[in-house]
Order: sequence, then structure tokens, then C-alpha cells
Amino acid sequence: KNTVFYQLFIPHCSIHLSLYFLFTNDAEGRLHQSQVAVFLLTYLGPPFNEKDFSPPRPNSTALSLPSAATRLELWHGLENQARLAQNQKAYSVLLAAVRELARSTLCPALKTSLLHFCTGLDGLLGSISALMTTLGYALPPPSANMEMRPTMNDFAKKVEGFWILRELQSWLWRSAKDFNRLKKRLRG
Amino acid sequence: MNLGVTAAAAAFKEAILVFTPAACSQFGLQTSSEEEPTFDLRRAAERVKLRGSCLLFTSRKLDKVRERRKAAKRTMFPFMFLLLLVQHVLLSSTHEAVISPQDPVLYIGSSLTATCTLSPELGLHASTLYWTLNGISVSSSAYSVLSPDTLSITLQNLNGSQQQSGDNLVCHGADGHVLAGSCLYVGRPPEKPVNLTCWSHNTKDLSCKWSPGGLGETHIQTKYTLKYKLRWYGREKECEVYNTGKQRYSCYIPRNLALFTPYEIWVEAANQLGSATSDITTLDILDVVTTDPPANVQVSRVGDLEDQLTVRWASPPELKDILFQAKYQIRYRLEDSTEWKVVDDVGNQTSCRLAGLQPGTVYFVQVRCNPVGIYGSRKPGIWSDWSHPAAASTPSSERLQSGSCDPKPGEQNSTLRRELKQFFGWVRKHASGCSGMSIKLYDQWRVWLQKSHKTRNQILQDDNS
Repeated sequence: KNTVFYQLFIPHCSIHLSLYFLFTNDAEGRLHQSQVAVFLLTYLGPPFNEKDFSPPRPNSTALSLPSAATRLELWHGLENQARLAQNQKAYSVLLAAVRELARSTLCPALKTSLLHFCTGLDGLLGSISALMTTLGYALPPPSANMEMRPTMNDFAKKVEGFWILRELQSWLWRSAKDFNRLKKRLRG
Repeated sequence: MNLGVTAAAAAFKEAILVFTPAACSQFGLQTSSEEEPTFDLRRAAERVKLRGSCLLFTSRKLDKVRERRKAAKRTMFPFMFLLLLVQHVLLSSTHEAVISPQDPVLYIGSSLTATCTLSPELGLHASTLYWTLNGISVSSSAYSVLSPDTLSITLQNLNGSQQQSGDNLVCHGADGHVLAGSCLYVGRPPEKPVNLTCWSHNTKDLSCKWSPGGLGETHIQTKYTLKYKLRWYGREKECEVYNTGKQRYSCYIPRNLALFTPYEIWVEAANQLGSATSDITTLDILDVVTTDPPANVQVSRVGDLEDQLTVRWASPPELKDILFQAKYQIRYRLEDSTEWKVVDDVGNQTSCRLAGLQPGTVYFVQVRCNPVGIYGSRKPGIWSDWSHPAAASTPSSERLQSGSCDPKPGEQNSTLRRELKQFFGWVRKHASGCSGMSIKLYDQWRVWLQKSHKTRNQILQDDNS
């Protein structure tokens, strides 16, 4: 039984590592993630890069991910499988959304930066999936891609990009807590 | 739940209230999924004694609440609001207002009249709206209320777009809420690209660079395509690898280039406002060949000669079998100098002797190559980069070691002393009036000088302390 326990922690450590490079509470990690955010917001132009700016959240397929926001006692009581499944679904949607954002960017340097960030997200998603498999949880089937994209004008696309970034930031913050919680539960 | 309601009540005091009878029916009831909280708005409204049957929070105010909550311990409270807002927004945000025209492309200096049309369920009047362009409010003198639900704005003499993604023209409600937006692309058509220059590395590939014509900046996305074809036959081809390295307007053709036949090359520039084509440049690959710097550059002394060094190198590896007429150039400088001296008439030998150098000094030397006349080309050719610097020092001579320029202070004194001794000897011999003059006097004078110097310093120190 001890060897199984040890195996469980191997993929778990790699998740923490992926998260560290994407987003942590210390100065170094935050700086990395924030650079991409600042770059994207500067590209979108004012008022998107202004403090306190908040356009209404669009109702599009790119943003059809579980909300990072949840009641504290519900979050606390989440079963491991549900917790992981929410993370897995969220990052699947976010990865596709950021990829599309990179594709439609006119600035080549920003495109490269976003694609590089996607590599990090892809790694994180892979680690989550690996951990789910190790723990014996079934992975959800890959949802049908956003084929029917409604025609949005360029401003609406910018608002969507703004919200993708916001969801990304919320989820990265939340996942750090999720994996700490998971670590405690797996140990105890 | 009590905690939640109290906190909610506190937040309501700061919330912006908009009473919209139509939206009311969406509120006040329980939610669908078990994850989302239950919340009774009516009860909370009673607590703060508000009139009206429902409330709408702007997302901005919500974020302010969230920011404050972040400082305190995170509770479920802000998330409940977020979920409620999301719910409301999902039901009505898609058609709050519409701006026309959407994403227009305009010439710099032109004017634009845009309209913001509200959807009726918002219950807002056009006169309460305002516009911003790139986050800056536009003065209401440019507005015109066309109808209760349509506000227009006229922008004159537009400047080029501030960012590549388009200028953000946004229609806001009175409280700052974003109702709709449109991206403006203001620029100019491209001018004929100029200064098209190409070069080939070892006859294998072709790199070209050019400059945008005219004012250079078009402010909107402009695509440059480099095209080429063999002059007397062959289909037009397009270059595919753009902007390699640090060059912004450049392209690279890696392979399949023909020699001995001229190419025609040009650049086409196009954007949504127009297009332009550069003049056609005709060239033969062999006339624009450049190569790597010479290999194995070595600098060495010429026996004991103090003012000469020998430089030796190998012709660039890729073309070494065909560079019959190549020219070389050498440049050298002193170790701590920035001025290079160039030796031009090296011809096509692979060694050269530098003369007229300073003894006992370190020199840095570089060599470069021009594959001129390659395969019979008559053009001047293109110089390669300089090789990595090689260093060597000239021998220093014996004679100069005993203080020629900049002798040490001790040496200086001993020279002076010697000379003085000679002088006093001469004075005693030829000048009768200075019989007391002797080298002993000089020595005594030196001692006195040192003593008084010390005393002087002592006084100064005493003064300071």
C-alpha cells in the first residue's frame, strides 16, 4: 500500500511544479504570469488595460467553463474526483480559448508569448489528467470543439479575450488552493 | 446564512441601484444548480429599507466589493454576488446595445459618425449615455440624440490608430457600464516599398530587405509579400520566411535558386486601404554573394622584430575551392583603443605582415573576405563579417626599459640628482663665486624639504581634528 501512496505523489508534485511556473503567490511566479497579462492588455488598448475596467461577461462557448468562484464550505467539501474534474474541465476550455486568442493576434511577439503560455497550460492539463488516471478516475470525454462560433465584432472579441484572461487568473489562483487541499486529503 | 445577509446589506449601501421592472422577474428566486447559493434579495432589501422590488449591481461595483473582501479573509459572500451577476448578465448582455458601424477601416484625417442603439429592455434613455475613445471621454458637443434609444457621435480628423488591434470606441451608460463597443482602424494605404537589397550566402540562399515607402507607418495591418521569378521564364514565386533575425522588413529564400540567370525581385505591400508595388530589381545571384569570414586567423611575431606582426588565415571554407580572385581586408587596433587601422591592399593572399607597430603592445586583429569575381562576376561583391578578433603582442626592446617615457618618481629623482652633481662640478670649476655650492647642499636641501612637508601636514591634521 505504501508503494501506491508514493506513486500517487509523483504526478502530484509535477502539478505543483507546473503551477509554480504559471502562477504562484511569490514574486517570481506572479511576475511570469503577469507579464503575459500586461502584454495582452496593452495590445487590446485602453480602456482594457486600465485599473477597475470591467465590461460585461460575454456568453460564448470560449467562456463555457466552470466558475472558479464557489462557496467556501462547498469548495472545502469537494471530493477529490469532483475537484480534479472541475480543474480538468476548466483548463481544457481555457487552453483552447488562449490558443484561439494567440491565433487571432496581429502582433507576432504577443502571439509567440501566448503560445508559450499555452505550452505551460498544456503541461498543467497533462499533469491533472495523469493524476486523475493514477487515482482511478475516468477522464471526461473531450467535448466537441467550438465549431459554431457566432460572428462577433472585433470589440466583442476583445471583451471575450479580456474575460478569458480574467478566468485564467481566477483559476490559477484557485488551483493552487485546490492542490494544497488535495495534498492534505491524499496524505490523511 | 445570517452572516451572508448582513454582509449583503452592508454592500447594498454602496451598490448602484437601477430599477428595471422587466429585469425584476429574473431575480429574487432560488437558483438552479446545487452549487450556487440561495439568496433572498427581498429580505435583504427590507433590511436596508430600500424601495423598489429589485436591484441590479454593475460588475464594476461588484469588483470593488471583491477587492475589499480579498484583504479580509475570503468568504463565500463575494462569490455569491458574482454568480448572481453572471446569471443576470448571461440572460441580457448579448444585446444590451449595438454600435454601428462595426470595425470600420478609415483614412487618417477622415470623419466618422457612429451610433449607439439601445435595446428597449434596458429602459435607458439615449441622453444619459456617453462615449469614450481609447478610454478617454469624448466631449458631449460631438453627440447628437437621434431618438430616445439612439445616440450618435461625430469624430473629426481622426488620427492613426493608437494600437494595432484597433482604437476602442465604447458606448457607456451613465454609471460607466459598458454597453457596446466598436474597433476603429484608422490608417493610410501603403506607399511603394523602397531600397530593396538582396544578398546570397555562399550562392545557396537569398536574403532581402526593404523599407516601407513614404512616411513608413501605415497604422493598420499591412502585409508585405516578396515575389521573385527568373527573368526570361519561370513562374512567379513568393518568399515565405519573413522577418528573420532583427530585421523588420525582410525575407529569406532558403533554397532552389538558379545561378547564371538573372532574377526579377519585387515587394508588394497591401492593406485594407490600398496597395503598392516596389520597382523591380534585377540581379544575378553570383553578383550578390557574400560568405563567412576567413577561418583560422592567427597573429604571430616576426622573430624579434619589435614593430611587426604576421597575420595568417584560411580562405572561407565554403568557397575555398573557387575563390580565385577574392579580396581580403585586415583591420587592427591597440588593446585599449577603439580606433581601427585598415589594411586594404591585401589582394588574395592568405597572409600579411603588419609593420610600423609599437613595441611591447598587444594588438587585436580581424580579417574579412569579399568573394569578388566569383564565377566571372564583374560586380564589386559584398564583404563578409569580420572574423573573431585574434590577439598578439609585439616584443618589447631592452633599451627602452630604463625609463624613456613616464619614468617612475624614484628614477626621476636619481636622474635629476646625477645631473645636478654634474652641474655643481662644472660650477666649482668655472664660477668662482659659488664655491659653497656642492651636491651635499642639494642633499641637505632635499632633507629640509621633506621635513617641512611633514610639519605642514601635521599642522593641517591638527587643524582638522
